[in-house]
Amino acid sequence: MLYEKIKTLYPELTAEDFDFIKGTILLQNDSDGKGDYIAKWEHSLPRPTQEQLDAVTGA
Amino acid sequence: MASIITATVSSGLTQQADNSGVLQLASGTGNLVTVPSVTGTAMVSGNMPAFSAYPSVAQTLSSSTITKILFGTEEFDTNNNFANSTFTPTVAGYYQVQGHIQPDASYSAGVVAIYKNGSLYKYGSYNANATGVAPPSMSCLVYCNGTTDYIEFYASVQTGQSLSASSTFTWFQGCMVRGA
Repeated sequence: MLYEKIKTLYPELTAEDFDFIKGTILLQNDSDGKGDYIAKWEHSLPRPTQEQLDAVTGA
Repeated sequence: MASIITATVSSGLTQQADNSGVLQLASGTGNLVTVPSVTGTAMVSGNMPAFSAYPSVAQTLSSSTITKILFGTEEFDTNNNFANSTFTPTVAGYYQVQGHIQPDASYSAGVVAIYKNGSLYKYGSYNANATGVAPPSMSCLVYCNGTTDYIEFYASVQTGQSLSASSTFTWFQGCMVRGA
């Protein structure tokens, strides 16, 4: 899952970073078969690339 | 007894008056409505879409991911405007929409939201890292143009888990409350 992959890449991220309303990161899934995606990334950490996410295993 | 104004194909507009003080409008020969005795805007019901739906299967949400909720079973859909978990009313007006989710596991943080045309419209009740909180619900008014506007229900939970598919626990409803 995308959330777990991002947490693996950036263990320092907290629940507050993903907070639905006040967080700087918003993950979304439109239930259209395309899966989870990053709808908003306003965190100071760099937005992970697709290659970085694909390289994460076990998440 | 009533005064009746009738629109027909053969005669155009006709009227039949009495002294009852009651006004009725007729379209053709079979459709008759009595104009309410009110001051201001009177609403004539008949073509006001309403729907109620719930999941056909338990949907699993990823952690902290706002997700479109799938409602595969309809309880009613008066104007056939609900399809693919999306409400697309074909009558322009103002709609009251509401929904609720029930996570299957313990629940501490989450939110629900109404999306209009694919974008966030209103958030509902919001819980952040509390204990013993009720799962989120929401209700709001939204205008739909009767052609292209569509409404969806989204939810997010902090800890990924499945939602109840029971019609009493996870549901999405809406109805027209006023014409455009």
